[in-house]
Order: sequence, then structure tokens, then C-alpha cells
Amino acid sequence: MAVKVNIDPITRIEGHLAVSIEVEDQKIINAHSKGEMFRGFEAILRGRDPLDAQQITQRICGVCPVSHGIASILAQDEAYGITPPENGRLVRNLILGANYIQSHIIHFYHLSALDFVDIAAITQYQGKDPGLMELKAWVENQIASKVLYPAAPFLPRYEGRYVEDTELNILAIRHYLDGLEMRALSQKMAAVFAGKLPHVPTLVPGGVTEKVTAHKIAAYGSMLKKLQQFIDHKYLPDVAGVAAAFPEYFKIGKGCGNYLAYGVFPESDDGSKNYLPGGVLIDGKLTDFSKEKIAEDVKHSFYKSDSGLKPADGSTEPNPGKSGAYSWLKAPRYDGKVVEVGPLSRILVSYVKGDNPDVKKLVDGLLAKLNATPEHLFSTLGRHAARAIECKLVADRCSEWITRLTPDKPAFRDFKIPKDAAGAGLTEAPRGALGHWIEVKDHKIENYQCVVPTTWNCSPRDDQANPGPVEQALVGTPISDTKNPIEATRVVRSFDPCIACAVH
Amino acid sequence: MPELTRRKFLLLSAKLAALTGLGSTAIPKIAEALDQLAAGAAPVIWLQGQSCSGCSVSLLNSDQPDPVTILTSYISLRFHSTLSTATGDVSMKVLNDSIDKGDYFLAVEGSIPAGMPEACVIGNEKLTEQVIRAAKNAKAVLAVGTCATSGGIPAAENNPTGAVGVTEYLKKQGISKPVISIPGCPAHPDWLVGTLVHVLKFGIPELDAMGRPKMFFGRLIHDQCQRFADYERENFAKTFSEDGCLFKLGCLGPITYSDCSSRLWNSGTNYCIKAGAPCIGCTSPDFASKQSFPFYRKSEQSKDREAKA
Repeated sequence: MAVKVNIDPITRIEGHLAVSIEVEDQKIINAHSKGEMFRGFEAILRGRDPLDAQQITQRICGVCPVSHGIASILAQDEAYGITPPENGRLVRNLILGANYIQSHIIHFYHLSALDFVDIAAITQYQGKDPGLMELKAWVENQIASKVLYPAAPFLPRYEGRYVEDTELNILAIRHYLDGLEMRALSQKMAAVFAGKLPHVPTLVPGGVTEKVTAHKIAAYGSMLKKLQQFIDHKYLPDVAGVAAAFPEYFKIGKGCGNYLAYGVFPESDDGSKNYLPGGVLIDGKLTDFSKEKIAEDVKHSFYKSDSGLKPADGSTEPNPGKSGAYSWLKAPRYDGKVVEVGPLSRILVSYVKGDNPDVKKLVDGLLAKLNATPEHLFSTLGRHAARAIECKLVADRCSEWITRLTPDKPAFRDFKIPKDAAGAGLTEAPRGALGHWIEVKDHKIENYQCVVPTTWNCSPRDDQANPGPVEQALVGTPISDTKNPIEATRVVRSFDPCIACAVH
Repeated sequence: MPELTRRKFLLLSAKLAALTGLGSTAIPKIAEALDQLAAGAAPVIWLQGQSCSGCSVSLLNSDQPDPVTILTSYISLRFHSTLSTATGDVSMKVLNDSIDKGDYFLAVEGSIPAGMPEACVIGNEKLTEQVIRAAKNAKAVLAVGTCATSGGIPAAENNPTGAVGVTEYLKKQGISKPVISIPGCPAHPDWLVGTLVHVLKFGIPELDAMGRPKMFFGRLIHDQCQRFADYERENFAKTFSEDGCLFKLGCLGPITYSDCSSRLWNSGTNYCIKAGAPCIGCTSPDFASKQSFPFYRKSEQSKDREAKA
């Protein structure tokens, strides 16, 4: 008899997600992913000034506001028929790149690592690192005191197998602390050109409002250097360390096995070439991506809108009491297929395309180090590895982009908003493929639709009852104790879900 | 560190009670809350309503004090959906036990879907009910960010969920608790940490009529703006990225209360107007609320040009 377990809430992700699983013979045989928060951004945008969009849509998500800002201004660039000058394109890449770095660091250390690393190992610390000594003293005092739930928010937790090597645990805890500083530094680095983070004011159609100066280039560059050192000497080795301690997760959490990337970080002013390319991998076959093949089903979502609509004609009418629905997420499908998006999809598409030698070198290098093959990438650990590799690729590429900036040349090209216009902005958030569709009528937003990374990954079943990527990835996952289903949360978190994004 | 006397506590409490519209019967309770919070690391429960987590991300950008110091020296963060190691049932038990025990400080990030309670659910409980349960036993409530203080974007015109800020929601539900409002989209980490530390170590700071700490929201952005001299000389930018005052592009600095122009963001790195972007008034109670009040005046220019052509 299958045991039903509700994991609600899934914490250490962005937002409101619950996952219900059915466990039989210590294996998940069925899973449902439920997004539990709705705000109605698309309804709020309708009737507004088009230029409100890049500010309002950034508020969809405080973790990846930059990606929404970029998607919105790309959609508007297309609608208004403008292309930013080279400085504008590069600065957008630098702001987005900085936010990738912060997002990937926070995801590994502060959201995911505590599923693997034994935080309680700090009590065994014998060294002289002042930060760790202080943390140890704090944990010991907390445990000795009579406070309810000592050492919150780090304890309590699911019981289960954690890393057993004390040295690796201590190192990871040290890097958890360093990572907090590093992610703040990457936001500070972004703010040089972004004005502020979260929620960037400088992103506008036509480029950016901030100017390029030699001093800003130097400021960004010096912070980037520290981040590159952290990524190379801490983040990548720590991911390898966790992978070596939990090799079984190279075989757990594969999911649908189809991968989609729109492409991101334009390398040419006309936007025709991206540093991380777009593409679709279905049944192992790579094809070009076409935005016409995206449609969203809502049979199992709390909406009364028609099912199967393309985003440009999309509609978002809530119906919270809808029978048969179990999530606020829609179910986007590509050519009718269930597809996964995210760093793993981007890295796989680039790897299979084979036009970026850095991608191949990094992937092959890490796999060799872990005695793994490319097939092992289709897994929980594969997602963590791809994210860390991408973090390095993006940081290294940012150090190239800053050298191409020209101080005191414009980063913005002026534009006029036509009475009627339409455009699509396709980019990639840290969590995966992101698209915004805008329709302008009589100088106002007539329709605005967003299809967001976690909408793909955490989607409920589609109209044909095909489960979404996370739902599929959970099936087959071993659960040794249904009271502590830590294995399931490892799989879910490897997707880096963001529910505020997914539902919006 | 100056000691906060019982008398001073009571005075502050009276002031707070007056500001939040509470009767004098609330005074001893508030004073007790402040006493306990001043005694050491205060338990904090952090609930996310209709939020983007941007205020949580902003909190992590605090550098002095840094997040670890905040977590280990000032507060005991019992429940925070993004940071708690606990998940599922384990996290709900921590939340429920903490609420039952009381003596904590409740932080709310995000708005409350008053008109569509199904639009926010945590641990199989509607937020509209959870926040009442959590507020009832809280010593005081901290509304973090404009969504929590006045509804923010989820409460803008045309919104389908009937979203409101936590202050309005609790008032309508008849719950009298002191609420401190820290607006901003997101809230600046200094506003949040500065307020928190003030409450914990020195009592409730001086608040304005909307419950905002005057030390952060007492002056207009415009008054200390780097482009103020351009405004005085009527040197106005005509489009983005130009030098000059951004007023004619729609900058709301002249009617927005906050210290952004002197404090700056991300550890003193930059902020909107300095970076050439007009202020969009994200700390104002009516931030983004009306379609007829767009952020920029660029579309007007486009329409004018069309009319002339």
C-alpha cells in the first residue's frame, strides 16, 4: 500500500511550493507539485503605460528581478523597433551576469547545501578560524540554553544521512558563511551599473540609464575578481565534494529528459548570437528553438481561461475553486512535450552544439574528476554541476565584456513608443528559459504574458495528464523514511524552484 | 550603550499606542514586549505572503551588521521559508510551537490576499488565517516592504486577489497590535536592520503617522538629491541617461519620503536617481497603485511627437 506524504511547505526555495508524494516499497511512485501563491501580474499590467512593465515585472521575483527586467525591455525593444548601442548591450549582460552569480551561489550554499552538509558538525570544530569558533560557541550556547528550538533557523531539520567527513562539513560551513558575503558582493557589483539590487531601476528599452565610466569598469572588475576566486576555489570544489559523497544522486531525479533553452547573453547588437545558445533537446536530438511551439495548458491549474493558448494570445483568469485543479502554475509545453529548463538545459544545449570550447572543457573536466559520464548529467547532481560550471563561464565571460566597454560612449538609444505595437522578449533567468510577450494598443498595454522558468519545471499535469518535469523527476526516488523524506527535497531543490516567478 | 529605563519604555509605549490608535490598556503589554526583546536575541517569525522574496534578499545584503551577526547576536529566526533548514511537517511544527509559546516578533513580507484567501497557502493553511494566528500571539508586528505596509503591486488597480497590506488587514480583523511599517520595494537592509536593532536594544523608534520610523522616512528624497542643483537651475533631462534633474521624466523624488539619496543602496554603491533612473516612489503608500499615474512621462513625449507630426 502506498503511503501519501505531503511536503508542505518546501522551504529553502523561493516562494510557496508543496509537493505530495506517494511512496511504495521505499520508492516514490507518484508525485504532484503544487504552486500555492497567486498575485495576478498579467491582469495588473493590462491598461498600464508600457514603460511601467520593466519595473512592475521585476517585482515578480526578488531573486531574479534582472531577468524579468531584461525580458521586458527585450520585448519592448522589439515592439518599438530599437536596438541598444554596444555599451547598452554589454552593460545589460554585466548586470544579468552579476545576478546569475548571486543566484547560483545562494542556491547551492544557502538553499541546497543543508540537504547534504551536516551543519551540526560545527560542534566538532577544533580549529582557530574566528568565524567558525564564534559559530560553534553560539550553537553550543543555544543547545545548552532552554530556548525553544536552539540554533534556529539552522536546526531542526529532516533526519537522514548527511556528509560524514567532518573536514568537508566544516569547509562547507565556512563557505556557507563566505557565500553570504559573496552573494552580497555580486549584488553590489551589479549595482555599479544597475543603480540598486533587488529591483533594478536602470534597465530601459534602448539600453540602460547608467553611464559607462572608467571608474565603474574598474569597480566592477575588482569585485568580479574576488567572485571568480570564490567560484574557482570554493564553489566548484564544494560541488565536487558533495557529488563524491553522494554519487547515487547522479542516478536519481532524471525527470523528463527533454531540455529547452532560449539562449542568453547577446554577443551581437542585433541579438542574433548568444553566448549561451538556444536549442531544444528532445529524445537526445538537438533542434533549433521556435517560440511558436510554446503553449500553456490549464486543465489542472486554477484558471478558467482557455487551455492550450500560445503566450502572445494568453489569458490568466483565476478560478480558485476549479474542480480537478491543484496548482496556481500553468503547464507550458513545447510542441506538446514536457521539457526541463535551467542551467542544465543551457549547458547541455551548448555542449551538444559544440561551438563553445570552454563549455566542453569544463564539463569534461568535472565529469572526469567525478568518474562520471555525460549521461550522469541527467540527474540531481547534474543540475548542481551544470549550475556551478555555468557560474564560472558567466563570471569569466563578464571579465571579457568589461574590457569591451567604451567609457563616455552612450549606453542608451532614444526611442518613441508607437501607438500600436507588439514584441516578444526571450532570455534566460538563472532558473531557465524566460519569455515576456507585450501587446501595445493606443499607447497602453493591451495584453502582457510571462512564461517563466519554474512554470516549466514545477508545472502540474497538462491536458493529456503528462506530469511536469519535477513531478517526473520525483518518481523512482528512494525514500528510506516517510517521516523524513529528505531524498525528495534534494530532487526538488536541484531545480532551484521559484514559485513567485512561476505563478506571478 | 545607554540603558533604556522602564520609564522611558513606558513613554515610548504610550507614544506607540497613540500612533497606532491603541487605547492606554495596551501600554503595559507593549512595555513588557520591549523589555523582553531588549533582554537578548528575540525570537522572530517571518511569514511571506504575496511576496517576491525581494525584501528577504535585501535583508541578506546587510553588511554592517552582516546576516550571520544578525542571526546569531540579535534575533532567533524561528521560521523563515527561504532560510529555515526545516522543511515540510518539521518546519510547520517549529512555526506552530513558536506561535503557541508567544513572546516573539512577527515580520510579514508581502501582501495579504483578503479577497481571495486561496491565493496564498502555507502548510495547508490559508495565510489570511495564519497571519491572524501569528499576530495574536506576537509582541509586535513588523510590516516589511511596501506590499506588507500598504499592499504594493499585488494591490494595484485591476488586481484579482483583493490584496491589502498587513496593517490594514489586521485592523479590519480587529487585531490590535503595534505595527511598525518599513516600506520600500524592496526595503533597504539598513531600514530593516536599523529598525529591528532599535526596537530590540532601545525600544520603538519615533514613528510617523503611517507607522514608519522617522529616522529613515522623515525627509523627501528630493531634498538631498545629487541632482537638486539641476532642479534649481531648471536644467532638466529630456530623456533617459541625460544629465540634469529627472523631474520632467516623471521622477517622484519630490514627493517620496526616504533617505535613499543620502544612504544609497548596496553598501553605498549607487541608487536610482544617481544612476540616471527617475524615482518611482516605491516607499509611498500609493506606489504603483494607479494606471493613470505611470512611472515615467516618456509615453506623453511619444504622443506629443505624434500629434505634431
